[in-house]
Amino acid sequence: MILLILIAAPLLAALASLAVRKKILVLEIIAMIVAPVEFVAAATIATQVYRQGRSEYGVYLAAGALETVVLITVALVGLAATFYSIGYLREEVRKQIIGFSRVRQFFILFHFFLMAMFFAVITVSPIMMWIAIEATTLSTAFLISFYNKASSMEAAWKYLIINSIGLLLGFFGTLLFLTPGNDAGVDKFVDWRSLVESGGSMNPTLAKVAFIFVLIGYGTKVGLAPMHTWLPDAHSKAPSPISALLSGSLLNVAMLAILKYKIVADAAIPTSFSRSLMIYFGVVTITIPAFIIIVQKNYKRLFAYSSIEHMGIVTLGIGFGGLGTFAALLHMIYHSLAKSVLFFSAGNILLKYGSTKMQKVRGVLSVMPVTGVLLLIGFLAITGMPPFGLFLTEIYILSAGIADHLPVVIGVLLLLLLVFAGFLRHIVGMTLSSYKAPDTTPIACGESGYLTVIPPILLLSLLIVAGFYLPAPIKSLLDSAASLING
Amino acid sequence: MAHLNQQTLLVFATIIFASAVFLHLTRKNTSAVRLYMVQSSAIAALLILSSFDRFSPLLIVAIVATVAVKIFIAPYFFYGLIRRHQLKFSVNTYLNTPVSLMVIAALLVLTRSDFFSALAVLATSGDKMLRLAFATVLISLFLAINRKGALSQMIGILSLENGIVAFALFAGLEQSPGLQLGITFNILIWVIIATVFASMIFRKFGSLDVTAMKKLKG
Repeated sequence: MILLILIAAPLLAALASLAVRKKILVLEIIAMIVAPVEFVAAATIATQVYRQGRSEYGVYLAAGALETVVLITVALVGLAATFYSIGYLREEVRKQIIGFSRVRQFFILFHFFLMAMFFAVITVSPIMMWIAIEATTLSTAFLISFYNKASSMEAAWKYLIINSIGLLLGFFGTLLFLTPGNDAGVDKFVDWRSLVESGGSMNPTLAKVAFIFVLIGYGTKVGLAPMHTWLPDAHSKAPSPISALLSGSLLNVAMLAILKYKIVADAAIPTSFSRSLMIYFGVVTITIPAFIIIVQKNYKRLFAYSSIEHMGIVTLGIGFGGLGTFAALLHMIYHSLAKSVLFFSAGNILLKYGSTKMQKVRGVLSVMPVTGVLLLIGFLAITGMPPFGLFLTEIYILSAGIADHLPVVIGVLLLLLLVFAGFLRHIVGMTLSSYKAPDTTPIACGESGYLTVIPPILLLSLLIVAGFYLPAPIKSLLDSAASLING
Repeated sequence: MAHLNQQTLLVFATIIFASAVFLHLTRKNTSAVRLYMVQSSAIAALLILSSFDRFSPLLIVAIVATVAVKIFIAPYFFYGLIRRHQLKFSVNTYLNTPVSLMVIAALLVLTRSDFFSALAVLATSGDKMLRLAFATVLISLFLAINRKGALSQMIGILSLENGIVAFALFAGLEQSPGLQLGITFNILIWVIIATVFASMIFRKFGSLDVTAMKKLKG
């Protein structure tokens, strides 16, 4: 039942928001009621999975350890993004950037987006998962073009076309996995379990072709290079709370699809095939953004390229296997928290400075002390500095590959240093350099409102605590999920 | 599909494949929409034929929905777009016609490669049809990438989807009617959203040429 609530709550919220005719406050109240409900539902599912190994509703919805790991990130970032959105949009309304209809459009699509992500995670059908992930594309396209500018329109079109092509290739791979040789059968309701169970009877070459299509298809949505080109545009042009959700949640949902197919493919062919491919894509996906981050001029694009880089690290960890898989899953959680903090900070800076160009953003620490601190700590966390969790997960991932892939490990280590240097240069320039007021309309010091700083503060606190102490249930879920992927 | 006459199936497979090739050659937007309608009609015919041995009311609903979306609703939206913005001719391609044809030929050769020969094991009604469907997938993918026009890109993506459906039918991978309905509904929403976006792009950039969009670099 709780699984049904997880989908019904955002759906009802979207429909209720659709019915609101005048007051922004009503839209905010709906969102404030529904977000905690979704979070509590996700937490309850996590508890059930921890205690019983699985949470089910009928034959269509279920969550195991792997799904729950992703569910936690979606619900957590969703909760923070909801409250942050309220503060962020209030400020935009106050500045007359947007009006009631835009706010309503935002919340309707926001709820649909969350519903699609939740559904993608907990549906037991691979085809329904594909439909749900495609629905995330459709619900977010208008959020990316939210400000109706030429650049956001361009970003949204690129997002729509590239992701649609990618997802169709993923669909083709999905169909290949449902072959008649598979005992799951044709024209029957095929779920993930039956797909894995019958994976052994699948033609090995066919399984290879199918996995390549799935990896390229869903990899497009994950932002794996070279199919990543839409991501920096879309993530940087969307309103900041949506950027946080796109980076902190949606990438994980798409990665979940790849991991599920990896489990199926590994049942049909030796695991070395999927691992090699993931190592290859992981390395390419870390390399390209590492060089672009150095020369980046726009801070939202900087964070978007960082998301690509981190998805590369996760992919590499899965490719290395063993401890690398556990670390990669934990890395997904830490990345979601850290990247949301950074995108929320980016939103605050944009509200204050009115520009996403780093050259125009100086003295954040003196102008907005809280956001400045969030940005600085967020930067240290995202670049994998100790004592943050991302430092540990990166070390674990690289150590998992030392024995068999030493040159790759050394290369990636150098690339991570490059990313750190790039970030250091940009973030120090934005935060620590002195702010010189322009001749016209100087910027007033102070934050844009408590709702724009409390969500990132809470997420950052959680990130710091989780770096030192991982609760036993979360560790148990990660262990179960990792052993499922490692086979 | 195995019970059906091989010649009949081959005719439909050829229509679907040829439509994808002609989509590369045509320069008129209305012709591209018509070719998509022809391709979709062949898909609809295959769906109807495949339903004979697994009849159910929900399947009929799924087929009717597919026919409605692919043959009537999507073309209606595309014609509306062409009429509203007077888009008689398609925007150019990245590669010229002779080079495009050479790429198509190379893609056809690729479908005969050892690696993709593995797909032939799926054939329930002759591997010729399956290879034609797979070639349609590759050629449609190339169409979506090679075209600079937003409308052509949209048609390329829908043709890619048709190729995948054809492949699934020839490989005996028909989905349950409920899932078919879900997929069709998804396509309907996609067509509506993509058409709205294309209109917005035209209003913003004065053209459906995606190369005119140069705001985002780096």
